Amino acid sequence: MKQLKYIIAIAAAYFLASCHKLNVPPLNIISEDQVFSSANGVQAYLANIYTFLPMEDFVYEPNGGFMTGNGGRWQCFYQMDAIDGEMAGPYGGTGDAAQGFGFWPYDRIRVINILLADLPKYANLYSQAQLNEWLGEAYFCRAYTYFALVKRYGGVPIVNTVADPNATPASLQVPRDKEEDVYNFIGSDFDSAYALMWAPGVAGNPGIQLGAANKYAAMAYKSRAMLFAATIAKYGAANYVDGPARAAGFVGIPAADANKFFQASYDAAKLVEGNFSLYTGGYPDKVQNYVDLFLKPNNEWIFIRQYTLSDPNVNNDNAGPHSWDATMTCRIMTGDGLSRTYPDLDYVERYGSLPIVNADGTPTRFNNLSDITIGLEPRLQGTIYFTGNTLRGVTFDQQRGIYKTFTGSAAQELSDNLNSPNDVYAQYPDTNSSANLIFASDPNSTYRNHRVIGRAGFNPSTGDDNTRTGFYLRKYVNYNAAASACGLYQSTQSYVDMRYAEVLLNRAEAAYELGMTGDALADINQIRDRAGAVEATASMTLDTIRNERDKELGFEHQYWWDIRRWRIADQVLDNRKLYGLMPYYIATENKYIFIKQIETFQRTYTFQKLWYYEPLPGGELGKNPNLYPNNPGY
Amino acid sequence: MNNSIKLLFAAFAVLAAASCAKTDNYAAPNSTFQGNFIDSVTGQNLLTETGGAQLMLKQLSWSSTPDPYYIPAKPDGSFEDTRIFSGNYSVIPTQGAFWPTDSIVKQISGNTTVNFTVTPYLEITNFNHTQDADSLVMTCQLSAPRTDGLPEILEIWPFVNSTEYVGSGAYISNFTISDQSNGSYNLAPINTTWNATIAATTYKCVVHGLIAGRTYYARLGVRVNDSYKKYNFSPVIEVDVPTK
Repeated sequence: MKQLKYIIAIAAAYFLASCHKLNVPPLNIISEDQVFSSANGVQAYLANIYTFLPMEDFVYEPNGGFMTGNGGRWQCFYQMDAIDGEMAGPYGGTGDAAQGFGFWPYDRIRVINILLADLPKYANLYSQAQLNEWLGEAYFCRAYTYFALVKRYGGVPIVNTVADPNATPASLQVPRDKEEDVYNFIGSDFDSAYALMWAPGVAGNPGIQLGAANKYAAMAYKSRAMLFAATIAKYGAANYVDGPARAAGFVGIPAADANKFFQASYDAAKLVEGNFSLYTGGYPDKVQNYVDLFLKPNNEWIFIRQYTLSDPNVNNDNAGPHSWDATMTCRIMTGDGLSRTYPDLDYVERYGSLPIVNADGTPTRFNNLSDITIGLEPRLQGTIYFTGNTLRGVTFDQQRGIYKTFTGSAAQELSDNLNSPNDVYAQYPDTNSSANLIFASDPNSTYRNHRVIGRAGFNPSTGDDNTRTGFYLRKYVNYNAAASACGLYQSTQSYVDMRYAEVLLNRAEAAYELGMTGDALADINQIRDRAGAVEATASMTLDTIRNERDKELGFEHQYWWDIRRWRIADQVLDNRKLYGLMPYYIATENKYIFIKQIETFQRTYTFQKLWYYEPLPGGELGKNPNLYPNNPGY
Repeated sequence: MNNSIKLLFAAFAVLAAASCAKTDNYAAPNSTFQGNFIDSVTGQNLLTETGGAQLMLKQLSWSSTPDPYYIPAKPDGSFEDTRIFSGNYSVIPTQGAFWPTDSIVKQISGNTTVNFTVTPYLEITNFNHTQDADSLVMTCQLSAPRTDGLPEILEIWPFVNSTEYVGSGAYISNFTISDQSNGSYNLAPINTTWNATIAATTYKCVVHGLIAGRTYYARLGVRVNDSYKKYNFSPVIEVDVPTK
């Protein structure tokens, strides 16, 4: 009986307890008001947005994506410039990565839209200027994300509100917008960012925070985006693949609107003037100055991504270190890793032909390997490691091979011996061979006490771990770090996604297209002066401006998008072979010669016109029939 | 203790086995769709290469916005897919060196054969070759079945390979590069829209450096600046280089 009492009492306790309402705030989820009602919360929310900003940085892979939390992200050589003809890299051809990776960041756009919609509800907690700064950053990030979409797919659905997940599926299946409308939307978001954010460092405003957007960054990116729209309108009208998506305006912009966008690009670029400047802190050495521009924080950097030494496999984000140093130069200079992508001679020849052939056709004789750099433009020397350069005390000594003797012209030698249909790279007669031309598969092989291929040289036994073109990339390589600190996930130099040089180049291109050649010339000559190049003259052409852009922004993952928006990719990459500058030692003369040859893998790069737009991701098409028609050719 | 573990394993095994019981009862893709791309001028199979043209199929039985499905052309101008789902398809020849055509709707089941007649942009005519030691000279003329609206004609390419599968996707590029030092190809450039001069010209491509004692296969290909830049080909010739 007593027991029964207890049982009743306990049962009653259960029943009473069950009357509590269930809508108590969960303890394991941080609610919106907890985030937006403190400055730290808002900043953490924004930091998350920046972390996932689709930036084509050191770890971005054109067919792998932004590599967030991906264990393959140490392989920096899988990069865009390895499919666009700037570098001979690990991709078998342009087609390996031309159709993208199914990028569809509407989850990230939603995160931004939530802040834009809900942060103003907490306006009474903050100063108006602070609130506007945050909203401006969000507009910047939204425009940035949509630009990453539109440059791949053309028109995509514009979603600028927070959709209710309980709404009907039909209302969530947002149709595609026209390509032109998406560019207009991007322009307007950048304008909002510009209008809302404070002028950094003036009138008591905080200065620029590295890694975060600022007022002028919005205009710098607007100049980039509007230039894309303008050139697509102008050149896409002549070179296109037809299809229903084009007829509906989902891809393609009317040619008549080109000048409107050129003007918008020019105006935006002009607003940046005076707030950033080209880096000259390393003068008078213009080579060192150009190298340091990418390594020392300076006033040319407009928007960057920073990295820390936190473990990339623990942190499921992009903030872990990258592996640029371990994967761009030769293993003999680093602590770990390997290189697989190399600048080609085609990039070097943007600066003009190298003096490797005499007037009579014979190869020019050089006393030292390093003599090839004598007289080269400082910017070129700051971008590429040539033979004879040193890094961390080790010399780039790459050689293609040794000639016992050499007579005649380079052209004759190429057609007699080096252009044999049998891949000479696959056969490497050893040093004891009776052949006149000696290759080797061992860096320690010598012929008369002279290394045959050098330690950094063309080594067929290691595949593409050593250069295929005779060059290594210098841009962004941190020469200050010790070799032991150049292993995988040990590099933390920032990625400069937007710098003032690009703003000037955007402005020059837009100005020239609008007929303002004087403005364009002044912009180009600012760049050339810093580069240590000869000044351009009033007779410069559009090609001069484009070539200047390609030189200045080489290996910064821009060329791919540039040849796409100029609609010349199908001509630039048309059964294209990439070339190298192959150094040979002539034993009898104790001299060096350089021969222009196809890179050792002899790969072919071809761009198909339908790749001017990527296909919409199949999974998204399956979920949303309103995305049809897919882009032309798919 | 031992027994209960055994029992647990047995139960687990039964459950694991049971979970595999569902069978996919949908018929496997067991139909065959085959046929030829027919050149409307010659009435013969289109002279093409592996993937030199595609058939784009859309299965209409399921969705109003089906994913396209492609069957590539074989080198002899035929196509064949022996593992295709039965169903109602819209089919169109595309991504080849011929004028755009209309799609047809076809019920594919069992063994379905369809020939698609296409009009090539260009025909290579009077195709001849001579061979001297390590050199091969190929000559041809061009004719255009339709000249109105024909895109700009780019150039004629010589393709040489060591197997009979020769075309833009399979050729030894060293033979096609005329000057290693500047990367130029030994093409016959045209780069203009169709005109009487082209019709009257005999074009010549020369290939050097053939190795004695080898057998090569060669052909010419011409392309226009349309959306796909595919090639209209000559027939393949076999070239036996005599030993020295």
